[in-house]
Amino acid sequence: MRSKRNLTSSDEKDLQKRKEDNLVEIEKRIEEAETSSDDSPFVSDFEDSENDDNETLIGDEGSTDESGSQESELSDSEDEDAVQSSDDDEGDDNAVYANDDKDSVEDNNHSSDSEVDEHDNVGVEDNIDGSDDSREIVEESDSSEDEVAPRNTIGDVPLKWYKDEEHIGYDLSGKKIKKKEKTSKLDSFLARTDDAKSWRKIIDEYNDEEVNLTKEEINLIRRMMDSKAPHADFDPHPSYIDWFTWDGAKHPLSNAPEPKRRFIPSKWDAKKVVKYVRAIRSGQIKLDDKPKEEPKFYDLWGEASSADRQGLAYIPAPKPKLPGHEESYNPSLEYIPTQEEINAYQLMFEEDRPKFIPKQYTSLRSVPAYEKAVQETFDRCLDLYLCPRVHKKRINIDPESLKPKLPNPRNLKPYPTTCYLEYRGHKGPVVTISAESTGQWLASGSKDGTVRIWEVETGRCLQIWDIGEPINEVEWNPELPILAVAAGQDVFILKTRCGNDEHQKKIEDLLHVQPQVGADDSDTNESIVNWVQDDTHGGIRLKHFKTVTKVEWHRKGDYLSTLMPSGESRSVLVHQLSKKLTQRIPFKTKGIHVTSAFHPTRSMFFAATKKDVRVYDLLKQKLVKKLEPGVREISSLAIHPGGDNAIVGSKDGKLCWFDMDLSSKPYKVLRCHGKDITSVAYHRSYPLFVSSSDDCTAYVFHGMVYSDLNQNPLIVPLEILRGHSSFDGRGVMDCKFHPRQPWLFTAGADSLIKLYCH
Amino acid sequence: MPKHYRPAGKKKEGNAAKYVTRSQAVKYLQVSLPVFRRLCILKGVFPREPKKKVKGNHHSYYHTKDLMFLKHEPLLEKFRDMRTYERKVKKAVSKKNRDLAERLLRRKPTYTLDMLIKERYPKFIDAVRDLDDCLSMVHLFAALPAVDRIVDGEKIPVSRVHNCRRLSQEWQAYISRTHKLRKTFISVKGIYYQAEVEGQKVTWLTPHALQQVLPEVDYRVLLTFLEFYETLLAFVNHRLYHSINVTYPPILDPRLEALSADLYALSRYLDANSQMSTKAITSSGSEQAEHQQDEPGALMQQLPSNEPGALMHLLEDASREDDEDSETRQCKNLFRNINFFLSRESPRESLLFIIPAFGGKVSWEGAGAPYDESDQSITHQIVDRPTQGHKFLSREYLQPQWVYDCINAHIILPTEKYIVGCVPPPHLSPFVDNDAEGHVPEYAEAIERLKAAERKEVLPLPGMGNEDLDDPQSLLGIIDRAEAIEAAKKKQKMLMQEKKYHDELKLELQGAQLPSLQSGVEVEDAEGDALPDLQQRAKDADSMSEVSMSRKKRKLLEAMKIGKKRKEDGVNLLKERKRRIDQAKKTSS
Repeated sequence: MRSKRNLTSSDEKDLQKRKEDNLVEIEKRIEEAETSSDDSPFVSDFEDSENDDNETLIGDEGSTDESGSQESELSDSEDEDAVQSSDDDEGDDNAVYANDDKDSVEDNNHSSDSEVDEHDNVGVEDNIDGSDDSREIVEESDSSEDEVAPRNTIGDVPLKWYKDEEHIGYDLSGKKIKKKEKTSKLDSFLARTDDAKSWRKIIDEYNDEEVNLTKEEINLIRRMMDSKAPHADFDPHPSYIDWFTWDGAKHPLSNAPEPKRRFIPSKWDAKKVVKYVRAIRSGQIKLDDKPKEEPKFYDLWGEASSADRQGLAYIPAPKPKLPGHEESYNPSLEYIPTQEEINAYQLMFEEDRPKFIPKQYTSLRSVPAYEKAVQETFDRCLDLYLCPRVHKKRINIDPESLKPKLPNPRNLKPYPTTCYLEYRGHKGPVVTISAESTGQWLASGSKDGTVRIWEVETGRCLQIWDIGEPINEVEWNPELPILAVAAGQDVFILKTRCGNDEHQKKIEDLLHVQPQVGADDSDTNESIVNWVQDDTHGGIRLKHFKTVTKVEWHRKGDYLSTLMPSGESRSVLVHQLSKKLTQRIPFKTKGIHVTSAFHPTRSMFFAATKKDVRVYDLLKQKLVKKLEPGVREISSLAIHPGGDNAIVGSKDGKLCWFDMDLSSKPYKVLRCHGKDITSVAYHRSYPLFVSSSDDCTAYVFHGMVYSDLNQNPLIVPLEILRGHSSFDGRGVMDCKFHPRQPWLFTAGADSLIKLYCH
Repeated sequence: MPKHYRPAGKKKEGNAAKYVTRSQAVKYLQVSLPVFRRLCILKGVFPREPKKKVKGNHHSYYHTKDLMFLKHEPLLEKFRDMRTYERKVKKAVSKKNRDLAERLLRRKPTYTLDMLIKERYPKFIDAVRDLDDCLSMVHLFAALPAVDRIVDGEKIPVSRVHNCRRLSQEWQAYISRTHKLRKTFISVKGIYYQAEVEGQKVTWLTPHALQQVLPEVDYRVLLTFLEFYETLLAFVNHRLYHSINVTYPPILDPRLEALSADLYALSRYLDANSQMSTKAITSSGSEQAEHQQDEPGALMQQLPSNEPGALMHLLEDASREDDEDSETRQCKNLFRNINFFLSRESPRESLLFIIPAFGGKVSWEGAGAPYDESDQSITHQIVDRPTQGHKFLSREYLQPQWVYDCINAHIILPTEKYIVGCVPPPHLSPFVDNDAEGHVPEYAEAIERLKAAERKEVLPLPGMGNEDLDDPQSLLGIIDRAEAIEAAKKKQKMLMQEKKYHDELKLELQGAQLPSLQSGVEVEDAEGDALPDLQQRAKDADSMSEVSMSRKKRKLLEAMKIGKKRKEDGVNLLKERKRRIDQAKKTSS
């Protein structure tokens, strides 16, 4: 009997523990049940018990699952046997159970169906109290659950060892206990949904059976979850029973005298009080709760006080823009864009798109709230505290006043204004022209390979040479009527029929080259060019080794410079006509030369590369100056007759005026042409200069140079001369002033030469 | 040694020393970025633009003097105190030291911004000058629904909204009371008002009284600004109220306040208070009162019997007349004998503000109104609904826009176009200078004509110099035009002469040259190129003057030209649309 009792209590404990393990699960299920089924088991106990009875009935009758029932019978008999030896097993089961909690959950789903039959065996009539009645029942009935010892005898081993086996362990007699068939998830789910009690079922993994919790057990669990004592009748706070009887006791429990400290106030309390008192006195602790109510607002600007702002100068923020007509709720109709215009806004860039599209509302009540109100206020705030503020002068001037005050061109007359004559005859673009120093004759060279001499005033063509190669340059000798012509690799020095007899005689002498043979062999090796008498054209022919693009006479007429851009170190040559000598300029040069010029008064030489203009002193034989126009590519160069100023034309249409006394940088840059400047020129006596360009225009400027060094040159644009037409992308190819008159010759790519007069 | 090398120990100079980036500034002040922002907003410190940006172009720079200014701000220390205080409270709470926590919570450190306002605006006029943003923002927050809301983790407390509402109404009451309102404009964004206070034009925007959209923005910044603006506006209001002898803050009739007729309550309060003060004044200076004795006597009949303080009111008005400028007087008398009644759906707040500002009397549908709809004295009823059922014959039923247009035009406009049910004429902005803009809307012209007619009526001698006074500008225009035409004629004549001269010259030359002409020579065709057409010439002159301009000036000129072009395009577009609309109208009719 004693042992039995022990057994039941231990059994009970075991059950409790198991239930604890499954608490979470049950709790879950309870919740489910509460939510899913209306007839919650906690609503009415009566109903519950009824259901239980029904189930037992079903369990008894239901022999649908034969194997299940057989097994239950079998297990019953076994259980009986196992009662005595099970008590030591019980405690250990829990640990195993706890380990395989997950599995149990899983299995529960599978096996719930098959175990429906058994549940009455396991725990329906379980008597938790362990009272004598139950024990009596145990003794009497063979199918009592109280002493049902675990069928399984595997002991405290991990259940996963049997996971893959067909059996869950062995019974007392050593027979294998087979695993039950697992029901499909669907079946178990259906069973669960059908059965309102299914939430009470938990799985005993160890014995591979389903345990149906009774109402009492569930109450037990609930109480434990509420951290109360498991049993309802347990009183955690029993009223105190003073077992000691004081009456009649003569002596106190302790005879010691009352200590002194009982009679004196606490030192530490006093210290604490002193501390507080001090804190209050010093104001660290303020006892008056509410701070005094002071008038919040007063006349801030009332009394006379320093009315100066501190800190840096204040820059007031610009005020927000005031609204225009278009922002009205009912704007004038013309402010409302049409639908097409609104659609067109979508094609614009985001930043170009108008921020605000005017719209008409026919009445005030229909105006909606402006959705960007807060956003715009926020943006304004950001502007106010994040934008750097700068005082900026607003330019509110007439754009006309920006234009420089130029003297009236009328006061600067004479200058060429109108086209007066055209010289026609060339078959190809006229590349170069040159006016004779007397101003009577004009020479021109064209791409058709002819050189012509024209009478300026009449336009009569005096002489024609057919060189056969495109002419690059023609140039009159400043003293004598001799013409230097550059064509291909040759430079011709031609006699002309102009000039009087005396001149002609001089020319005869000058333009005579002794045919040098034998002795000259060494010379020819040395000299870069060949001086050859040319009888076909009447003159001398200088044979160069590269294409000659530029020929220029020295002012005295004896020296002649030629330029071969691809001649490298020998690109610029100086020829002496009287001695028939050729020498290269004795300077180290850099880059490809574009053009060159003699200084009009002194023995200086200008050589322009694409980037800069270098000025050499021929006597001292050294570089004097370097002019840097800062343009992309220099195309032309002209020296003022005074010698201190120069203009440089560039291929990006810029004209740079250099005052060489002032600086090596341009004194003024004039952006006048849209295309390459082909040629620039100074007038010999009038304060005029001109630039011609491929955009078929020629700009005439007034360029006054003062003898007073303190006064800068005065540059006034005077006239734009048009008239030439474009041919093959080229416009005006060359321009030259008349040496005496303020007239201008221009040579165009349209094979015309024009004379502009004042 | 590289150019930028600075030996160790040598101080920085120039821009590098004067300006620091924001992160440097934050580090220097030893505050967090939000606190720095707050300080900047409250102190009105903004980044500056150094001539040379030493640290790069993508930084914002603060002047070191500004930083020193911030560093010595007591508020900085206060913010630190608050931070430590919050830490203390938190610690006390988490240690369950309830005593300490309660004691701390009772003594929360506070700060005031009045010295900052004084510092930023040393004179009252400075404050008024900077009031635009302040008013707009306070009015916006006043229009937010009064609910504690959490937007983006930031709370907009109800008390702030209420305070904004109170401040804005105090301001409006003052403006309305002193008749300082000048212009109003209903835009899509809200209603713009422009008042003239202390000679400064103050413009503000009140949003339409509807539910506002709250986008995702940093409300901390907004609330910091609002904090400053609230204080500023309160002080400004205080000053203004005292200038008309009214105590501030006003104590309102709780009944009216409950009916959300705060503005009316305020104006009542203002009236009552200023009457009291004038009473005191008049009793002390009795000769002044005697002097004006006859005037109120004459005006006695006009007084409505139900207003007991009206006499005093008038007296006070008369005594003030001297220091009012003519414009104020004009504004005050615009709606002098007009009694308005606002029906339910009309924008009451706005109309209650503007109608009294221009001397009208106004009532509305609802409790607490001075008179109800059936009152016989009502002359105009403002209605904003498609149709009006029952109509009194004695009054006009108008749309709200009429009031606003009258105010902008400074005259009582004819009412036919504004009657209930029709689409009102376009509402035009009073802030636009039509002539400068280049395009004058049709209705603006109509209003101008009406105004001119009004003036004619007032003029003492209608017959005489009326033409000149009537429209001096147009006359000026005529003079100009005549001159221009004359000049143009002269020019044309001169050109003709020049051409003729050239022709003659040419002929002469041809005559001289003709016999010596050779085969390859041809005479220039005189008519064709010799005298380029005038356009070409003008263009040449233009380009020639541009040739010698410096690059800077040329760029500026180009920019100006582009700007001008854009403006012209805009005007042309408007004109084109106008033309098209007119055409469509013509064809349809």
